[in-house]
Amino acid sequence: MEIAARQKIVDDLLPTKFGLRGRIWIAFLVIVCVIGVFGYGRQLSIGLEVTNMRDYASWGIYISNFVFFVAISLVGSLVTAVLRIVHFDWSTPLTRIAEIIAISAITFASIIIVVDMGRPDRFYNLFLHGRLQSPIIWDVVVITTYLFISLLLLYFPLLPDLHIMLKARKDAGKRRGGIYAFLGSFWKNTSQQIHISERSVRILSITIIPVAFAVHTVTSWLFATTYRPGWDSTNFGAYFIAGAFLVGAGAILVAMYVFRYAYKLEKYITVDHFDKMGKIVVMLALVYLYFNVNEFLVPAFKMKKTDADHLLGLFSGEFAAIFWFAITTSMFLPILILVTKWGRKPFPAFIAGVLVVVGSWFKRYVIVTPTLLHPFLPMHDVPESYKHYFPSWEEWAVAMGSLAGMLLIVTVFVRLFPIIPIQETITEIEEDEKG
Amino acid sequence: MKKVKYAAPILLLALLTTGISLAQAEKNKLSLGLGYYNENNRMQYLKATTKTKIEGKFTPAGGIRVRFYIGSEGPGNLLGAATTDDKGQGILYIPPNARAEWDKSPQQSFVAVTDSSQLYDAVTTSADLIKARIKLDTANDRKVIATLIEQKGSAWRPVGGVDMKIAVHRMGGDLNINEDPLFTTDSQGIVSADFKLLNLPGDSLGNLILVARIDDNDSYGSIITEKSVPWGTPTTYISGFNERSLFARRGRSPVWLEWIAYGIILGVWSVLFYLFFQIRKLKKLGV
Repeated sequence: MEIAARQKIVDDLLPTKFGLRGRIWIAFLVIVCVIGVFGYGRQLSIGLEVTNMRDYASWGIYISNFVFFVAISLVGSLVTAVLRIVHFDWSTPLTRIAEIIAISAITFASIIIVVDMGRPDRFYNLFLHGRLQSPIIWDVVVITTYLFISLLLLYFPLLPDLHIMLKARKDAGKRRGGIYAFLGSFWKNTSQQIHISERSVRILSITIIPVAFAVHTVTSWLFATTYRPGWDSTNFGAYFIAGAFLVGAGAILVAMYVFRYAYKLEKYITVDHFDKMGKIVVMLALVYLYFNVNEFLVPAFKMKKTDADHLLGLFSGEFAAIFWFAITTSMFLPILILVTKWGRKPFPAFIAGVLVVVGSWFKRYVIVTPTLLHPFLPMHDVPESYKHYFPSWEEWAVAMGSLAGMLLIVTVFVRLFPIIPIQETITEIEEDEKG
Repeated sequence: MKKVKYAAPILLLALLTTGISLAQAEKNKLSLGLGYYNENNRMQYLKATTKTKIEGKFTPAGGIRVRFYIGSEGPGNLLGAATTDDKGQGILYIPPNARAEWDKSPQQSFVAVTDSSQLYDAVTTSADLIKARIKLDTANDRKVIATLIEQKGSAWRPVGGVDMKIAVHRMGGDLNINEDPLFTTDSQGIVSADFKLLNLPGDSLGNLILVARIDDNDSYGSIITEKSVPWGTPTTYISGFNERSLFARRGRSPVWLEWIAYGIILGVWSVLFYLFFQIRKLKKLGV
């Protein structure tokens, strides 16, 4: 490859300063985060009483959010591991987007679970007195492991890019230059270093797949190991993983469009990428639809008394609007849009991605809360407020603050590091040229 | 003519508005009940019940403050106050400082008064009672003997012709001790009933709680007396709580399963530590 062409790629992909829109976006996210912190401060000082969670609906939007974060984090393993192992080289520009989404999501999954605790000051007991027999500990173990694997999977491919950035950006400023030097000044692009790094990435790509499956299976088992209508299912692990892959792929579509548009990356994130990711989303939506049919149609066919209250509440009762909204927006509409070639063009694909992500958030709520409001024993002698659940403003603030926090991590990352791997892109182009 | 034409609907509207305002201002009618309870001849309390009609049905009215008086309504006779709960019930245990007033006469009156509020007018009700007790004894062949006595002057006399229930306490309710659901005291104030229940689970020593009760009697209120008898089958409760799942409790999970789990975690983290070590190696190579 010619030096000029190589330099063009480097210049195209190096992180750039935020413009006005970028700053407004950052300010917006910070404000939402601050409101969330304020809401949580109230919860800490007054207690969980400020939420609308009560004896029955003891898991509300915090836990829905937790499941959503865990689900969306699965995208890291989908794009960086699954597609890498099956040699789908076209996914290279998407790997870093996927990894940073995964890391930010799994970080906030850990945070939101602490937020849901009535006594977060006792959190350390989970580590001091945790029992491996408890699904909660399974979750702690796999989430921690998944976070570390994702960090390594982000870090190893970043090393050659840090080298490029240190060389290319002498004017990066002391602080940023210091970060780059701290993280990757030792990288000299020697064949031995490249060999170790590539080998490490291959090991990580294989390791992350069972761990990613474990993360979401264990999260599903938090529900399925509890005997309740709607959760008492042997299908839950696979059902959750299918849903997680779908929301992760949807998030990739959204991120692809946003980064492509914001950083003028049309040459690197092409229409073909949208076409291919669109097809993957259709496949994943169909798989998830299949699991949903299993989860709802089979118990609905039997309509056992205890299941009936829960199912009818979803199909035509108190939760019908949110249930059908979630099913339609997370599966039906994206399939209808993306199944056509026109629908897999960038903008329609972006819309389909947004629908998947929004629908999937509500889908998690539908999985968590309605079940809690339909216990096996009827609710007697409880205040009316115990029988229904609608989050308080503090809950909304914390939940939205956590979502904003996740986006803030992604935004700060793209300000500091190239969102598309520079060295991998150059290497691939060189290999293509060699034929 | 035009003025007359518009005057009629305006007048009608004004009348309707006034009617609606008046209707809105009208308060609901509160029904207040008062009952006296004597448990085991020791604990005595008053229970006020508040109800109101909503859509033609009597519905408990909660959150109503009720003041209780002994004898008659007056500051010196105030026993205390209670606020009714969601079931419309408010309970006040008769305080020890009311003893002097209580001992004055074998007959007693209680008055309950609610405060006036935006929803309801103040309501007053009273209950008169004759002090009475139930003595509960047993005889051979599992016979239960309950005697109702009332206070007359300074003496206690038997009372005949009063309906009484004899039962045994079970979880969640009382179980009749034979086929008769209700008994009536004879001229000696006595009810005699055979305990016909066999193999009834009792506590760990086989004890059962017999109960003789008079419910909501016009003269005596509600009187409940209990007695423990060893007529049941000794039963030790064994909790199945910890048996409910296979491996969910420390000590129940098989060692091989725990080792597999620890092995998997150790295996994955060994890989991670190996990769951390690779980063060190990369650093050394770059120096």
